[in-house]
Amino acid sequence: MTDLTCDELDALLAEFLDGTITDDQRDAALAHLATCDACTIVVTEMRGVGALFRQHGRLRLPDAARARIRAQLEAAEQDPTS
Amino acid sequence: MTAAASPTVTSLFEEFADGIYTLGYRLTGDRQLAEDVVQETFIKVMRSLSSYRGDGPIAAWLYRIGYREAIAVTRKRKDEPTEPDTMVYLADRSDDDVEREIVSRELAAVLDAAISSLTPPLRAAFVLRDVEGLSTVEVAAALDASESAVKMRLARAREALRVQLKEYL
Ligand SMILES: [Zn+2]
Repeated sequence: MTDLTCDELDALLAEFLDGTITDDQRDAALAHLATCDACTIVVTEMRGVGALFRQHGRLRLPDAARARIRAQLEAAEQDPTS
Repeated sequence: MTAAASPTVTSLFEEFADGIYTLGYRLTGDRQLAEDVVQETFIKVMRSLSSYRGDGPIAAWLYRIGYREAIAVTRKRKDEPTEPDTMVYLADRSDDDVEREIVSRELAAVLDAAISSLTPPLRAAFVLRDVEGLSTVEVAAALDASESAVKMRLARAREALRVQLKEYL
């Protein structure tokens, strides 16, 4: 595979990040990233966005709601006619 | 139907309650509505669990119900969003370091603002794929969209968030 341009890498980016790319495309993407700081920054930041949300943007159902809904489900599970 | 490992609604609730709550909050922007989404989703799950054929990943099936509930709830009521500083974030749990908690809450508010600038389909694709960790195929099933549509939404969501959150990356 010939060298990718920045635009060509951009077109592959989603699949590259998801790991659903072919081996050849992956090698070409990595070869481009090894020589291109701009694209490396984009890839790093894209990965960072997901990590940021996984670390700080996941929510926990509050305990009161958890207990209330769980009780509701358990009651209905034991008495399916209700 | 899967006779072998038929899950109960309570086991699914333990596993997916936080994920559905996260999706519900990201789509409605309101924690009360997000609680409603969780409740309605698991009531529907309970009613239709016997008809779940086990022919796809259960996460996709469940998030599909949650996504529809969140969209329905959003259409029904559009009130002012809850203040982000009243939210309980997973990262806050058992965290006694006050300073760190304040930073975390500020960051949480920044994330709230960034993601709320996206359209609901972009938000849902991003949350399910990049936050909750479903595969692209599962996200497509959950959102009733083609895989290529999901990939396009993911690309747009990631790029928009990357630009907005640059200084935190
Ligand atoms: Zn480049």
